Amino acid sequence: MNHRLSRRSFGTTTLRSAAGIAIGTQLPFIWQQSTIRGAESSENQKILVVVQLSGGNDGLNTVVPYRDETYYKARPKLAISKDQVVKVSDHLGLHPSLRSLEELLGEKRMSILHGVGYENPNRSHFESMDIWHTCARKDARSNEGWLGRMFTAGKFDPSDSPGIHLGSEILPVALASRGLQIPSIASVEEMRLKSATKHSQMQNGVEERPDKAPMELESTVDSGLLGFVSTSTQVALQASQRIDTALSSSDASYDFPDSALGQKMKIVSRLILAGLRTRVYYVTLDGFDTHANQPLAHQGLLKQWAEAISAFHKRLANDGQSDRVLVMSFSEFGRRLAENASDGTDHGAAAPVFLSGPKFLDWQVGEMPSLNDLEDGDVKHHTDFRRIYSTVLQDWLGQSSQIPLAGMYEPLKNVFAV
Amino acid sequence: MSISRDEALDQLDPDVAWAAWKKSDRQPWDRSRICLLWRRGGFGANEQQIQRSLQLEPAEVVDKLCATNDSDLRLSSFSADSAALASAVRASGDMNKLTAWWIHRLLNSPVPLLEKMTVFWHGHFATGAEKVQDAELMFQQNELLRKFALGDFRQLTHQISKDPAMLIYLDSATNRKAHANENYARELMELFCLGEGNYSEADVQQLAKCFTGWEIRRKQFRFNSYQHDDSEKQLLGSSGIVTGEQAIDVVLKQDAMPRFIVGKLFQFFICDEPTPPGSLLAPLEKLFVDSNFTLEPVIKTILRSNMLLSGWSIGRRIRSPIELTIELLRALESNTNLTKFAASLKRLGQALYFPPNVKGWPGGRSWINSSTLIGRANLVFDLLNDPNSSFAGGTLGKLTQKLGISNFESCINWIDSTLLAAPLSSNERKQLLQILESVGQDTMLKQALLEVAALPRMHLS
Repeated sequence: MNHRLSRRSFGTTTLRSAAGIAIGTQLPFIWQQSTIRGAESSENQKILVVVQLSGGNDGLNTVVPYRDETYYKARPKLAISKDQVVKVSDHLGLHPSLRSLEELLGEKRMSILHGVGYENPNRSHFESMDIWHTCARKDARSNEGWLGRMFTAGKFDPSDSPGIHLGSEILPVALASRGLQIPSIASVEEMRLKSATKHSQMQNGVEERPDKAPMELESTVDSGLLGFVSTSTQVALQASQRIDTALSSSDASYDFPDSALGQKMKIVSRLILAGLRTRVYYVTLDGFDTHANQPLAHQGLLKQWAEAISAFHKRLANDGQSDRVLVMSFSEFGRRLAENASDGTDHGAAAPVFLSGPKFLDWQVGEMPSLNDLEDGDVKHHTDFRRIYSTVLQDWLGQSSQIPLAGMYEPLKNVFAV
Repeated sequence: MSISRDEALDQLDPDVAWAAWKKSDRQPWDRSRICLLWRRGGFGANEQQIQRSLQLEPAEVVDKLCATNDSDLRLSSFSADSAALASAVRASGDMNKLTAWWIHRLLNSPVPLLEKMTVFWHGHFATGAEKVQDAELMFQQNELLRKFALGDFRQLTHQISKDPAMLIYLDSATNRKAHANENYARELMELFCLGEGNYSEADVQQLAKCFTGWEIRRKQFRFNSYQHDDSEKQLLGSSGIVTGEQAIDVVLKQDAMPRFIVGKLFQFFICDEPTPPGSLLAPLEKLFVDSNFTLEPVIKTILRSNMLLSGWSIGRRIRSPIELTIELLRALESNTNLTKFAASLKRLGQALYFPPNVKGWPGGRSWINSSTLIGRANLVFDLLNDPNSSFAGGTLGKLTQKLGISNFESCINWIDSTLLAAPLSSNERKQLLQILESVGQDTMLKQALLEVAALPRMHLS
C-alpha cells in the first residue's frame, strides 16, 4: 500500500512551533524559484540517486580484466585471481564481494560504463572531485555544480526541495547553486528543534499576525552571510517537517543492510515511496583512497556499496517503482595500474561508472580501455563523464543539459531500454 | 586612515589595511570592538575581560592574547589541571575523553589564541583518529601543533612529516623503495605547503621517493636506510635531492608557500569570502618571510590591523561549531559536562580529532546546513539545561545577578553586545522583549539565550 503525501497532508503546526528559530527571517516558500516558474506536478516523475564513492575507487579491481596478462603482471599482490572473480563475460569479472550485483547485471538492470574520465586528468582528490561536480577546471570555476544549475534552470515541483543530500559530510558542490539551497541532512532522527517544544510567546506572535508585513531582514551586515544563514534556516525548517511527515507515513520494516550506506539508501527509499517530490538524492561512501593495505578495505567498501544498492533496488521493485529510479555510482578517479609497495594503489585516472535501476539495453556500454596503452601509468578514458551526465539529464530527468554542463555534450546512445 | 564597511577587498590599500588601528572619536575603543578582537583572537570575552580591556590600549590587549609564554599560563592552576586531566585521559586511551581534555583547554586556557591556533593547525595538518586508532599518538600530535602554533612554520612542517599519527594517517608508516607510496608526498605540497597547481605529477613521484624508508616502529619515527631510495632526485626545479629532509626544505623554499599560508590565515582571522587579491596579502607575506617564517608577528599584525579592527571584518565569518559553543560558554563563565559536550560536536560537523578528510574543515558556508543549524540550536539548549552546567559557579540566575542584569532591557543589551557580531534588529528586540515579559525575571537570561541561539545572526562572527 502506498502512503502518498499530498501537499495538504502537512499540517502547519510544525512550522509554527519551529518559528522560534526563524524570527528575523521571512516565512515564505523557499523553493520559490520553481514556484515562480510554475512547475508541473510530479507524482510519477523520474528520480536520480547519486552514489559518490569518495577517495578514488580502484576500477581495475572492481571490474576485473581476468584474462589480461598485463593486469596480473602489474599487480602481483593485489590482482584478483581468475578463479575468484564473479565472471560476467569471457574476459571481465566482478570483484568477489560484488556478488550481489550479478543478478542486476543479468537482468540488465545495471550497466557498466567503461573508461570514463576527462582530458588532462587531475590526480588531486579535491580538484578532481570539483571537476566532476562543477564540470569546470579550477581557473574557470564558479561555486555551482551541475545538479545545482539544473535545479535553477529547470522546472520542478515546488512542494519539496528538488534535491536532498543525506550525510554528515559537507554539501557536495554538485548540488550547489546561487539561486537555491539544498538541504543537507546528517541524520533524520536529529531534525527536530528541541527549544521548539517550549511554548513561547514568539510562536504566538508569529501565529497571530500572519497578515502583517514580513519581518524585516535588515541588518548592518552587508557580506551576504546573514542572508545565507537566514535562507538556510528556512530550508532547514521546511525540509525537517516534510521529511518528518514523510518518514512517519512510510513503512520502515523492510530490511536493509546495517551499514552506513545501507541505512542511507533505506531512508532514500522511504522518502521516495512516501511520495516526496524530490528528484535528486545524493549520498556518499568514503574510504576508497586505498594507498595501503588495500585488499581488506576495498573488499569491505565494495560489499557495502553492492549490498546497499541491491537492497535498494529490491525495495523499489517490491512497490513497482524500479522503472522510475536511477542510481548512478561514480568516483573522482580510478587508481594506477601498478600496485605500490604498501599493498595499495596510488591515484589514477579513468574508471567505470555504474548505472542501475531501470532496464538498460545492455549490461555494459563501451569497452574496457586497454592496459597496454597508458598515460603516466594510468588507464586512459574514452568517454568524457559529461556525456554520462548529459545522458542522465536529457534521457532520464528530461532536462536540458547545456546549462548544467556549461557546454554541449552528446548523450550516449543506446543506454536505456525504453 | 580607515576602511569603510562596504569597500571591496581589491580596492583596499594594503598598507592602510595592515597598519595598526588607532582609536578616534569616530572609531572609539569600545565594547563591540573589544568583543570583535577577543572573538577573532580567542574565543570571545567574559565581562571581566571586557572591562579590563577597556582600560588597556588595543596593542596591549593583542600582546596579552599572544602571550603564549606568559607566566600567567605557567603559573595558573589551569596548567596543572590540564596536565592532571591529560595523564588520566592518556591512560584510558579513550578518544572521547581526549576530546573532553581539549575542550577543557579551549574553555579554560588563559591564552585562548594558543588553543585557537592549535585548532587551526589541526584543520591544516588534518589527521583523523578513525584511521590512526591510537589516542596517545593523537595526543602527541596535538601537543606538537600547540608547541608550534604561533612559532616556526618550517620546523612545524619538518616535525609533522615525522609525526607518527600523520604518517599512519597518510600511509607513510611503511614506505618502501620498490614502489614509493605517493600519499604523503602529494598532500605535503597540495594541502600543507603550496596549494594545488604549484607542482607537477612528476614532483609528486620524485618527492615520494625521497620519503621512502621513513617508517613508524613501536609508535616512533624510524629511518630505514634499507628501504630508502638514495638516488639523486629532481624536485621543483632543484636537482641532487636525496633525503626527505632536503626535499621538505625544497618544498618550503617555494614562493608559493608564504602566499598559501598567509592566505589561509587571512581567511581564518578576517573573512570567509571573497578570496583576497595577492596585492592585499603581499605585506603579510613579506613579514612572514622576513621573520623567518615565524607565525606570531604575522598574527599580531593581523589582530592589530585596520583590516580587522576598523570593523570591516564584522559579521564576515561564520562561527565554527567550536567558536559558537566555546564563545557562549566562556561569556557565561560556564563549566559543563565535558564528555557529553565532546560527543555532541560531531553532529555540528566539527568532531575534534576527526576532520572530514585530509583537507580538514573547509569552514565558511560549509558549516551551515539543515542538520547543523538545528543541531546548533539544540546543543545550546542542552548546554543551558544540563544539570551539570554551572555559570559563574552557580545557576544562570546567579550569573544574571553578577552581571548586574536587572531588567529585560539590560538582559537583551548584554546578550546583544557580548555574543552577537551583528546587532539585533529592532523587530527582533521587540519580539524578544515580549517573550521575556511572559517568562519573568527569574528565567529571562536563559530564555533570551535560547531564542537568540536560534537566530540566524547568532552564527556570524
